[in-house]
Amino acid sequence: MKKLTKYLLSLVLAVGFFSCDEKFDEINTNLVDPTTLNPLFLLNQGILDMRYRDGGSSLQDLSYNFGIVQQIITPFGSSLAGANYNQLNLSNSQRIWQNTYRNVLKNTVDAVEKSKVNPDNTNLYHSARIWKAYAYMVLTDTYGDIPYFEGAKGFIEQIVSPKYDSQETIYVDLLKELEEATAGLDPNKASSTSEILYGGDPLKWKKFGYSLMLRAAMRLTKASPSKAETYVTKAVAGGLISSNAENAVLRNTSVFNNYIGVHLGAREKANYYLTEPFVNHLKTNEDPRLESIAIRHVGATNGPSQTISRITRDPDLQIGMPMGHDDVSINSVLAENGVVSLWDYSQANIYTVLKVDSPQFFLTYSQTQLLLAEAAVRGWVQGGAATYYEEGIKANMEQMAFYDLDATVSEQAAATYIANHPLENEMALEQINTEYWISSFLDGSELFANFRRSGYPTLEANPYTGSEITGNFIRSMPYPDSETVVNRSNLQEAISRQGPNNLDRRVWWDQP
Amino acid sequence: MKNKVLLLFLTMLWYGQIYAQNNSITGTVRDASEEPIPGTSIMISGTSQGTVSDIDGKFTLKAAPNSTLIFSFLGYESQSINIQNRTTINVTLNVNDIGLEEVVVTALGIKREAKTLGFSTTTLDGELISENRTPNFADALQGKIAGVNISSMSTGPGGTSKIRIRGQSSFSGQNNPLVVINGVPMDNSNYSLGGNFGNRQLNNSDGGDGLLSINPDDIETLTVLKGATAGALYGSRAKDGVIMITTKSKNASKGLGVEINSNFTTDTPLDFTDFQYEYGQGEGGVRPTSSYPTSGVWSFGERFEPGMTQILFDNEEWPYEPVSGRIKQFYNTGVNWTNTLTVANSGDNGGFSLSFANTDNKSIVPNSKLNRKTINLGFSQNITPKLVASGNANYSHEENQNPPQVNAQDFSTATVIMTLANSMPFEALRNNITYPNGDEIVMARFLVRNNPYYSTSKRFDNVKRDRLIGNLSLNYQLTPWLYAMGRLSMDFYVRDNDYNTPNGYAPIPPAPAGFVNGSFTQDTRRFRETNHDFLIGANRAFGDFNIDLTLGGNQRFVRMDYNSVAVKDFVIPDLYTVMNGRVKDPLYSLSEKKINSLYGLGEFSYKEWLFLNLTARNDWFSTLAPANRSIMYPSVATSFVFSQAFQNLPEWLYFGKLRMAYAEVGDDNVSPYSNALFYAVDNNLFPNPDGLPSPLGRINASTVPNTNLKPLRVQETEIGMELRLFDEKINLDFAYYRKITNDQILATQISDASSFTNQLVNIGRSMNKGLEFLVSGSPVRTNNFRWDASVNATYNTSEVLQLGVSEADTMITVSSGGGRILRQVVGKPIGQLYTFTYLRDDQGRMVFDENSGRPLRNDEPQNMGSVLPKYFGGVSNTFTYKGLSLYALIDFKLGHKIIAGRNQNFLRHGLHKNTLNGRDQGYVIGDGVNPNGEINTTRSLIQPFYETTNVLGINEDWVSNAGFWKLRQVSLSYDFSKHLPDKLFIKKLRLSGVANNVLILKKWTQNMDPENVSVTSDNANGMDFWPSLPPTRSLGFNLNVKF
Repeated sequence: MKKLTKYLLSLVLAVGFFSCDEKFDEINTNLVDPTTLNPLFLLNQGILDMRYRDGGSSLQDLSYNFGIVQQIITPFGSSLAGANYNQLNLSNSQRIWQNTYRNVLKNTVDAVEKSKVNPDNTNLYHSARIWKAYAYMVLTDTYGDIPYFEGAKGFIEQIVSPKYDSQETIYVDLLKELEEATAGLDPNKASSTSEILYGGDPLKWKKFGYSLMLRAAMRLTKASPSKAETYVTKAVAGGLISSNAENAVLRNTSVFNNYIGVHLGAREKANYYLTEPFVNHLKTNEDPRLESIAIRHVGATNGPSQTISRITRDPDLQIGMPMGHDDVSINSVLAENGVVSLWDYSQANIYTVLKVDSPQFFLTYSQTQLLLAEAAVRGWVQGGAATYYEEGIKANMEQMAFYDLDATVSEQAAATYIANHPLENEMALEQINTEYWISSFLDGSELFANFRRSGYPTLEANPYTGSEITGNFIRSMPYPDSETVVNRSNLQEAISRQGPNNLDRRVWWDQP
Repeated sequence: MKNKVLLLFLTMLWYGQIYAQNNSITGTVRDASEEPIPGTSIMISGTSQGTVSDIDGKFTLKAAPNSTLIFSFLGYESQSINIQNRTTINVTLNVNDIGLEEVVVTALGIKREAKTLGFSTTTLDGELISENRTPNFADALQGKIAGVNISSMSTGPGGTSKIRIRGQSSFSGQNNPLVVINGVPMDNSNYSLGGNFGNRQLNNSDGGDGLLSINPDDIETLTVLKGATAGALYGSRAKDGVIMITTKSKNASKGLGVEINSNFTTDTPLDFTDFQYEYGQGEGGVRPTSSYPTSGVWSFGERFEPGMTQILFDNEEWPYEPVSGRIKQFYNTGVNWTNTLTVANSGDNGGFSLSFANTDNKSIVPNSKLNRKTINLGFSQNITPKLVASGNANYSHEENQNPPQVNAQDFSTATVIMTLANSMPFEALRNNITYPNGDEIVMARFLVRNNPYYSTSKRFDNVKRDRLIGNLSLNYQLTPWLYAMGRLSMDFYVRDNDYNTPNGYAPIPPAPAGFVNGSFTQDTRRFRETNHDFLIGANRAFGDFNIDLTLGGNQRFVRMDYNSVAVKDFVIPDLYTVMNGRVKDPLYSLSEKKINSLYGLGEFSYKEWLFLNLTARNDWFSTLAPANRSIMYPSVATSFVFSQAFQNLPEWLYFGKLRMAYAEVGDDNVSPYSNALFYAVDNNLFPNPDGLPSPLGRINASTVPNTNLKPLRVQETEIGMELRLFDEKINLDFAYYRKITNDQILATQISDASSFTNQLVNIGRSMNKGLEFLVSGSPVRTNNFRWDASVNATYNTSEVLQLGVSEADTMITVSSGGGRILRQVVGKPIGQLYTFTYLRDDQGRMVFDENSGRPLRNDEPQNMGSVLPKYFGGVSNTFTYKGLSLYALIDFKLGHKIIAGRNQNFLRHGLHKNTLNGRDQGYVIGDGVNPNGEINTTRSLIQPFYETTNVLGINEDWVSNAGFWKLRQVSLSYDFSKHLPDKLFIKKLRLSGVANNVLILKKWTQNMDPENVSVTSDNANGMDFWPSLPPTRSLGFNLNVKF
């Protein structure tokens, strides 16, 4: 009996050891992953992600942005349909939305919040604010009204169904943000050279911030000319990017790739072509950049026969693919175009501008100079429009060498081109913005935005017979279906403010 | 907590104090065949005194000369014998052959008499599982158990089996029941698509679940505890029911026995497609006339005419003619062969069962196979008459080679075969796999639609798992009425998985100079779950009353380590090692979780016909916020055997019982560390402008964490009745249950503009209710012939009662893609399917775009009904004539919807018969109006027209009744035993011909078997899109020999 009691007692003691939740906090602590991070790392990631995390994300540029401005097109439909047929392709029209919010803004906004509270990190804080403005500008330019004030706050403020803000108010805030952030950058304060865009240099960030302000201001030439002028003036006074060395550029590597290059170098290698309007424009104007940009696999009859031995970069042999065809109807124009198959048209050069480690430009000296040229034409800045214009062209010619030495445009060739294309007063806006079009090659969202704003270059409407749009060109991207599904009432409010959610809808600054 | 310990202590003391002395009585307990019955409980009526018979069935005890002894042993009829001054009493106990005293293994491995249970359970005999089997044995349970809905995945022999008991209770994707082996929970996490673990890199195979490690031949019985009450003692893990597997631990009869079971089946792929074979491959109405352009996966070419030719991707001229039977042309006949050798012994002091088994499953997909070797040891040994040691160890070694890629494009043979142009000769594919340098030969302009022969020969995916599940328990019978049990158990596995993207795979970019492209991933997971538990049980009778108390505790600890290295580009071609890679990306994660529990069970009975069961369990979860960590689950169940309570019932009412139960259980239902946001630093550095390698880091989550999660709670009420009528010719069992699930923890889809894709929330209330019927019996029983029939049917419905915090939150989206949307909607059953529909005018006419002529859609997705079956069940009949027995099972699921979305693919690829409209004229004019209300006259090109529904996410054409009736199993067996000469060493020989998934009797979906799915998540229910592997019919035999 005593023995029994002993057994029982020890059992009861054993029970005592189960003291409920001892050490539970320890067990529920993740020993591997950090719960916070240096905001610098986050900003770096935000910058990197702006140019996509994979080939799939780049499909919005390929399917829409490049096609709308008629530089790169595919004749193929189905999952690649888009600007080539002027048709809705929801899986590709939502990619900038997804990538920018889910990746770029997630990390950038976190970097802003984390650096805001640290007085030693003001330069990082202001840099992150500028980057945030850059990302939001791409979003609103692409989609119109978007969640801005409540955007990217799923964790920070637990806002999971953010309200949409009108583009007008977004631009007011973007300009305010850029003004504050540029003013806040201070070369006398600490910064980290491990920042990937400008090595943490506050002065370069300042220049980038003002150049972005110039871009944002110029976006408003139709919608709010006075505000445009005000901020152009502020931007110029603040100091702009003054050489290609100060370009905002992503220096891709063999590890972190140029995903448009990855996509066009592999999965979509045989599917995308330079367009006839683009190639012909460069050809007609004897633009030396054509040799940097284009290749043609002469005589290729299918994808696999696009072999290296067929490649020519000779500008005279480049043939752009005419707009308005699918992969069957294109066969009816092959002979008149002088090609043997659709695989025989010119393509963006994956050995120069679109190598897997080719750099990608966010904002360039060339673009800035061309915007200044237009501002000068409008009388908003001092200096001759022609000077800015010429400098803008020259800068872009120089920029080619950054892609690959093989893409270098000689000074002589650049000078010749500039000499042959002087800025003419009556045509100034068209000339400037057509140059901007060439200069922004591969910068999809900027190409699309400036084309809508300026109306240049003068392009023919895509003649595809199955077009779904009522106007001549696609004016914005529809909102992703996921918003209809999970953020319906806020989306509805934005739609009722702007008009039907389709490819014809104009964003606020895009006034007829 | 402290109070509970005190209570336990006092209880023990109360039981311990009464002890007295009397005359000595001895005797032996035997069964009808004169075999001694050890372990028989012998109690002196009205006291707590008694003893247990020893290994020879002998007992000695002291009792008053006129007292009554009660002899009881599970499975035997109890006997009360008055001592009447005798000193020797020999007793013969009779087996309860009528089944009333049927013993059921319940939660924690506690054996209980069926009649005392106040809740519904179903037990299947091991033979029913092993004879006519499926590679994952759980699939063979389909249609056999009321309330249990099983879906087998079309993902190859190593695939996961999806089991749902009493419907989908929570809104989350995984509502898997707890699997318990010999009283100990096992980890049944699955590596399926939409399952518990995802893959790092491009890999869409189903890596299987835990049940895969079980050899069906080792199963003695399988019991399903359906409701929360039945599983209440398992607390948090029982919310979706419990599957309890008891493996063999000793020989069925006394002495040494050797058994060999051999099971051989072949799998034939089935084809449910009805494609158009009038127009061949090509695009825009043109057949391929030069290599590559329009060949591959498009069937929008020209009308087949005799003598036409086509030039395919191989630059060869082929006849332009239909190629039918695509499934039979590519897929093989699968072969499954399992051999099990079991050696078992049973003696006076215990016994053991040791088995070795080898299973080979060759998939229908070339180069895909599964091998499993298992060793199972079960034993039970009386160390002393009072101390019993028992244990089980199940070791399995699985090698799953190239589990098929499904639900994707890259490397998925299913996607390619099912979208392949209808005039593509397989010979062309077989002959053109790679160029001499090893690069892939592309056969379609969708580079990710690979030549299936390339996918199955150049890509590899190896899964290896070594798993040991075991437990060891000591049971000490302290006194005849008190026992204590301690148990240690462990489930441990190491799972290695490696897979590649081959060098020269066309959709990936070339590597930098000096390297070849491709990628390789090597994963290792180490999993360990330990459970320490103890039970103290006491039983005491007071006249007509009996009290049975059990107290126990459990400590559960789970840890998983995950190491992985993914590399890209290689120095040496075709050498897939992590060292050979150029860019390396290592990963390590660790997850730990602990749950402590205390529980108690009290059973009170009166006169063998009224039973009351009370249980309480308290769980503490490490995964939840401190304030919400502790939760108590009570349950109460009663059983009233009215056939025994009332004496004057009619004779035909052989047995009747009413039962009623209520229970609460809960679940943390979140993975560890869900309460915080984590960051990750990139393994590789990115250069700053001066080339200085600089760090990158990101928020490592797409789900917004929640720091205040509470456990979800399930409250379930169940009533039921069991009747055995007319000499057991008819047995009826039915149950009604109502289950309310509160505070569900779920990842809802949120706006991308929040920067996250999901939010973990603690919201919502839903209700499941249903009826389960089981009618079984033997309508005909003669000496030579017997007909056994069994019908089970389940009606299950659910309703979402509340979502979110405000009244306005009436809808959440759990998943969406391609216009296929799955939602939870207040007031509707769980799992509402939505999709976009065609825009129609007031008169119901379709509206077409004026410019393109393509159909337009409604802006808002429309409701299409629930994806969960309302009715399911099975009808089985067994006819036995002498030694010959024929078994057939028909099962059904009805009352639910599916988007048979693969038809969207068949449509846009020109295979669907709907695409014949307009082919002859080369354009389509949609039948309807334009947005201005005028009759539509715009011509649309064929291909874009049939692409529209895909581009716009209009799936209304493919919404279909997902129900079916199937002839699931047929087996014909003959027992040769009685023809064997007596002297032969073979004692038993039984041969069966078996057939599984025999025939679809009725279905509604076009071009597919509605069960043909490959994603296990409940959030993918009804949302078909990419074709799955073809379903298979298996035929074979099972041979069972006993020596």
